[in-house]
Amino acid sequence: MTKPAIRLSGLTKKFGSLTAVNNVDLAIEPGEVVALLGPNGAGKSTTIDLLLGLARPTDGSAELFGENPRQAIVTGRVGAMLQGGALLPTTTVRESIALIHALHKHPLSVEEAMERAGVTDLAKQKIASLSGGQMQRARFAVAVVSNPDLLILDEPTAAMDVAARHSFWESMREFTALGKTVVFATHYLDEADTFADRIVIMSQGRIIADGTPSEVKSVVTGRTLSFTLESADTASLERLVAVTHLEQRGNRVSLQSEDSDATLRALLTSYPAATDIEIVSRNMDDAFMALTAASEGASK
Amino acid sequence: MNIRYFGLEMARQLRNARSLVFTFAVPVAMLLIFGGTYGAQYDSAAHLQWIIVTTVQMGAYGAMMAALAQAFTIVNERSVGWNRQLRITPLSGTGYMITKVSSALAVGLLSIIVVFAVSILALHAHLSVQGWLMAGLGLWAGIIPFALIAVLIGQFAKPSFAQPLFMVTFLGLAILGGLWVPLDILPTWVGNVAQAAPSYWLNKLGQMGAGLTGNIGTPTIVLGAWTLVLAALIAWRYRRDSARA
Repeated sequence: MTKPAIRLSGLTKKFGSLTAVNNVDLAIEPGEVVALLGPNGAGKSTTIDLLLGLARPTDGSAELFGENPRQAIVTGRVGAMLQGGALLPTTTVRESIALIHALHKHPLSVEEAMERAGVTDLAKQKIASLSGGQMQRARFAVAVVSNPDLLILDEPTAAMDVAARHSFWESMREFTALGKTVVFATHYLDEADTFADRIVIMSQGRIIADGTPSEVKSVVTGRTLSFTLESADTASLERLVAVTHLEQRGNRVSLQSEDSDATLRALLTSYPAATDIEIVSRNMDDAFMALTAASEGASK
Repeated sequence: MNIRYFGLEMARQLRNARSLVFTFAVPVAMLLIFGGTYGAQYDSAAHLQWIIVTTVQMGAYGAMMAALAQAFTIVNERSVGWNRQLRITPLSGTGYMITKVSSALAVGLLSIIVVFAVSILALHAHLSVQGWLMAGLGLWAGIIPFALIAVLIGQFAKPSFAQPLFMVTFLGLAILGGLWVPLDILPTWVGNVAQAAPSYWLNKLGQMGAGLTGNIGTPTIVLGAWTLVLAALIAWRYRRDSARA
């Protein structure tokens, strides 16, 4: 049996009276693409530091491929783009990659790393002159130059515009197609939904949800039904069949419903004047809000 | 130590214009000015021609600068987050510091060679091959504690604090070492304090090498003591930093 790419057992990190990571157990198998979600301060970055051995756990342990994290780094099996990690502004893209390349035992060639990250055209540019998206791609090249089996990315697409995010995930797809393991922390829930085959949500240092995107989304049931209605009577709208929640902004009303078909029939019977009706499934954002709100509520 | 990483590091540092000015251009310029003016006179205290004394002083100054300037590269690399990037490579913390000390020694050696070469070629300074060799070797060995001072500054100084700290350290050491003005013309107490400064003994070690005379026991003990104390401080600081992580 192959060893899991990541195994966290009872992982705990305290900073004084603050428990940043609280007894986390997690196993990630080789080949999985996992999104790590959570509000700011949920413990994502600390968990990443712990699993890479950059911080020492107060309790519990982290193993990568059955070894201690440092060992896995030394053998070049792990690459990472970290918060607060950066390249030297005065070097060129190529020099930065070459410096890291020189430290590894069995690296890709500098050319291949640049190609995989799509930075070949930027090879001679100074790091200081790169745009946000170009910078992240250069950092991605640095992260893959050791030819790792596991990539850890802490908010890789922060500070990228839409086009840059798109091309970044394009490079990532090519990487995961090779059967490599990827763990990425993100604030973009749609990214997690689209690119991950497993989502782990953290809140207040604990894992509060772990499953496929559809499993995670299933915690919020029902659909949102929205429409435009002049001088709506919110009290009676809220009493419509299967409605669980109402929001109103100007003339636009949105209802959350356990049974949108039944709610819609009732709405049209009582309020035939309702126009521009839209019905959408509740999404990752709703699931995320519901889960984190529940966990914060539970701890109070 | 990783030789290829070290090589790339060196190439990168030698392209840094600011450090080149301080490490190479300033000592060479001062050598040309002072050496040209007083060159032919004889320094009775050091039993050497003035030109040789000046060459050794400027060689010491350039090499000391080269070593201390590593503090900036360390502080910069730490502040931008390059060190954090390096932590996900096989390079260990100790390996990193050894690379920095080696860079300091390599640039220092280059600076000594440049100053000596200018002295020989432009000012026609005359000394036996053995004299040059021993003077160079003395200076080179003598800058080890300065490389450690740089690592220590690099370990704790914030970028905004590194510049003034560096200036104070470097000016103090240059003056106490008698690298700019002879200590005889300064108040006696300065001369007394200088006896404890590594730069004073760095200069002395270079002069002893050039003259192929003198007892290298005292400079070895003083510089050795500095090296041990600094290495201990660096190790202590390093352990404390990694324990806190």
